[in-house]
Amino acid sequence: MKKRIAAGLLLLLVLGAALVLRLAPYGYADQDRDETMAPSTARHWAGTDELGRDRAVRVAAALLIGLTGAAVAAAITTMIAACFGFLAAFSPRPVAAALIFIGDLFLALPWLFLLMLARSLLPLTASPMQTAVATFLVLAALGWPACARAVYRGAAQLRSAEWMIQGRACGLRARQLIRLHLVPRLLPLLLPQFLICVPAFIVAEANLGALGLGVGEPMPSWGAMLLELDNSALLARSHWVYLPIALLVIVLLILESFTAEAGADA
Amino acid sequence: MVFVRAGLSRGAYCRPSVFHQRILRCLYACRAGRGRLHLFTCRCPRSSGAQPVLGEAVSLPVAVAKRAGRTLLLMIFAAAGTILLVRFAPGFFSDSREMDAKYASAAREEIQAENSRQQTLGQIAVREFKGWLKGDFGESRQYRVPVAELIGARMRVSVLLLARGIAYGWLLALCVALPVSALRKGGVVWGLPFTLLLAIPASAMATACILSEIGGPVLVLSLLVAAREFKFLRGLLEAAWRSPHILYGRAQGLSPLALARMHILPNVAPQLCALATLSIVTALGALVPIEVVFTVPGIGQLAWSAVMNRDLPVLVAIGLWMAFVVGVAGMLSARDWTLEAA
Repeated sequence: MKKRIAAGLLLLLVLGAALVLRLAPYGYADQDRDETMAPSTARHWAGTDELGRDRAVRVAAALLIGLTGAAVAAAITTMIAACFGFLAAFSPRPVAAALIFIGDLFLALPWLFLLMLARSLLPLTASPMQTAVATFLVLAALGWPACARAVYRGAAQLRSAEWMIQGRACGLRARQLIRLHLVPRLLPLLLPQFLICVPAFIVAEANLGALGLGVGEPMPSWGAMLLELDNSALLARSHWVYLPIALLVIVLLILESFTAEAGADA
Repeated sequence: MVFVRAGLSRGAYCRPSVFHQRILRCLYACRAGRGRLHLFTCRCPRSSGAQPVLGEAVSLPVAVAKRAGRTLLLMIFAAAGTILLVRFAPGFFSDSREMDAKYASAAREEIQAENSRQQTLGQIAVREFKGWLKGDFGESRQYRVPVAELIGARMRVSVLLLARGIAYGWLLALCVALPVSALRKGGVVWGLPFTLLLAIPASAMATACILSEIGGPVLVLSLLVAAREFKFLRGLLEAAWRSPHILYGRAQGLSPLALARMHILPNVAPQLCALATLSIVTALGALVPIEVVFTVPGIGQLAWSAVMNRDLPVLVAIGLWMAFVVGVAGMLSARDWTLEAA
């Protein structure tokens, strides 16, 4: 029931954002130089930023970009984690130990520090779309170790299950065992990992953006929108500046409820 | 047919003859004091399940040495990874002389070529590792100050912030989780503020603190640690409250306070210690945005500045420091080393 309400709310937010983008006469990068830092007006109901860009349109775009990017990155990271976990669980002991050590190495350093390092590797003169893709790819490339550990634990339990031994004794090949028996049994484990990754990636992107290492301007992102809060002149003029952070918290709360439900189901 | 998982590769099974030979060889080696000690497990369709054949714990010094070695390896790999990342970062070869108009284009090209020759990956790695052995972490490219001096001055600030943030965060999480875990209903409502805190990025929380002029970096770090640890603590304490001896104690009329003080907290103390040391990693991750937003002159702010300016010596030193702290935290968080090593 809770899951359905949360899914309904999320769908409503996504549809609302899509509708705002569809109906608004401006794009997220269009500047209205006559109305910079404007409060709520008839033309811009959520006001504008310091460059005169419509805040409602930018928030809607940030929501869609953030959710899509985080979902894609979470899917990639879950796939990497699944492959890594499988490989570690079904490899000889030295190979498994080496693989686990690689995962530990990624887990050893604080995630944000690693993200900063990896993000700084990217070219300085990249288009906004390239920076967005690069940011989410970096998240996907560095987010797998924790998931891989969970998958490894699950796969290792399944490896020593009685039905597995029976299957091997009956002459099933490793490929058949994995495709027909292991993957269907591990799917309930992979889904919570995916759901955990989505809000984590959104928060990471917001933190990276706030440090100036996220999605490049003029493409809107949660991180870039949060930077508006540093502008005291803007804060004094309009309360709509708080719209991005309020919406971000609502989205994250909805996603957290999914995570809690998925964790309970698993 | 006997299936065996002992002294063989994982998931590999062998015929009975090979199985018996291996088991006997391992048993002989262990009794003779040679070879590594394992917990052997054999599986047989006729038996009900796994049966431990032989088990013996590795001694504490060996376990300590293994964990220390692992930490050292972790630090070396972390440093090598940092060098690799920063070496290929755009702008790493940039030299201020290249922007100087008095140099001809040929001279600028020569400067670039010279930099490329001197900054190969192998040369950088060898130079850095040699320096560390002598206690020299190099000179910051950005500040032109020895890295050890730069980090030393900021270390105190960051360590103090971390210590206070973790301590207050744990105090808050424990004070709320202990009574909430004993409740039969309404636990979800009490947990809501912590769920809400989890949904706010560290940088946004720090900005909100500045705007409202309430609190500072310690408050933000404490709230983040408390939000993260509350979930684990509540789960741990709920399980403790449900254990049979606690239920019996409650039925006997012991007060919840006495139960918590005499039975619950001492029982979960090892798990709490393990969790507390692991929250160092959580706090380290949050250190960067907090220090940047609050302009605290600590390690997090230095790391951010070094990343923005491709300051390799500083980044490598910070990477080493973080790997060391995390490695030591991991070592401390192991509750029973001898058992784990077995």
